[in-house]
Amino acid sequence: MEKVFVITSGKGGVGKTTITANLGCTLAKMGDKVCLIDADIGLKNLDVVLGLENRIIHTVVDVTTGRVKPEEALVRHKTLKSLYLLPASQIATKEMVSPEDMKRIVHELYPNFDYIIIDSPAGIERGFRNAVAAAETAIVVSTPDLPSISDADRVIGLLEGSGFDSEQIKLIVNRIKPKMVKRGEMLTKEDIVEVLAVQLLGLIPDTDEMVIATNRGIPVSLNGNEGVARTFENIARRLKGQPVNVEEDIPAEKLGFVEAFLRLFRRTRG
Amino acid sequence: MMPLFFGFMRRKKKKSAREAKERLGAMLSTRKRSVPVEEILGEKISKESVGDVEHLIKRWAVERFKVGEKNIKVEFEEHNGYVVIITNITFD
Repeated sequence: MEKVFVITSGKGGVGKTTITANLGCTLAKMGDKVCLIDADIGLKNLDVVLGLENRIIHTVVDVTTGRVKPEEALVRHKTLKSLYLLPASQIATKEMVSPEDMKRIVHELYPNFDYIIIDSPAGIERGFRNAVAAAETAIVVSTPDLPSISDADRVIGLLEGSGFDSEQIKLIVNRIKPKMVKRGEMLTKEDIVEVLAVQLLGLIPDTDEMVIATNRGIPVSLNGNEGVARTFENIARRLKGQPVNVEEDIPAEKLGFVEAFLRLFRRTRG
Repeated sequence: MMPLFFGFMRRKKKKSAREAKERLGAMLSTRKRSVPVEEILGEKISKESVGDVEHLIKRWAVERFKVGEKNIKVEFEEHNGYVVIITNITFD
């Protein structure tokens, strides 16, 4: 079973970093030892989403320059003791790390962890190549809009070109709005999967929970086991090879009093 | 009579997701995709002539994309010392 994943997309702002943080937290909650690597050199964010920005001493650049070993640069999560972060540097540039450096870092960390998740920067240049170099499986994130799907398609083409086969590329559709899908105002998961022709790993609904969690530096997956936390649990289970229906990712819609009353009325008439 | 009248007057708007799907199909149908040459030719590339390579690519594309051989055009170009094989496939 694969244990090194890269979270990528091509387009920026689709939720790669949030998904990396939440997936890491969920796997750690399940008892796995997880290492998250921030490959977004120069524009790091993963430490902020995890609430670890004040604990960084060394970064991935200190490792590539030989100043410290990968294990010495790791930051342990405050509450999840089996979750670690290898932070990116804010002052360095992507060119200071090479795909070979990344392979070496992952190779050294590999025996000590159950899962290694690499957060890729946006774009398809050096940063992307660094991030995917050591990955066994690529998780492509897309939102249900045209620019994001188009960029995801481009990235899938690049991944295939660099040796990833169809089993090694998976898709997460982020920020799905079930009500808009129902009204025919947003592409459905079937539409997106048909176009991208890759395996669907998960569907993440667009909720306020995610924004609030990022503001607090506490990933949403640490807020109990309901709502989006449950969605990430489903995704983590699928990564472990467990069969969990994708339909279970979108929590059942909560009805307001008026809506519930109207539905009851409609049902009685029908 | 009145509901019929208003029903007739109401213009049916095309759902935006349908429009998005059509645009997406148009955008991605012209996309270039790189395929490792070994996937198509295997070990044969060093042994076959250019004509045979062209034939092998066409045969692969016919099977993979379910199109006629006349819809496939194979060209060879030299870029920085490498032979780049450009295959254009026209879909009906």
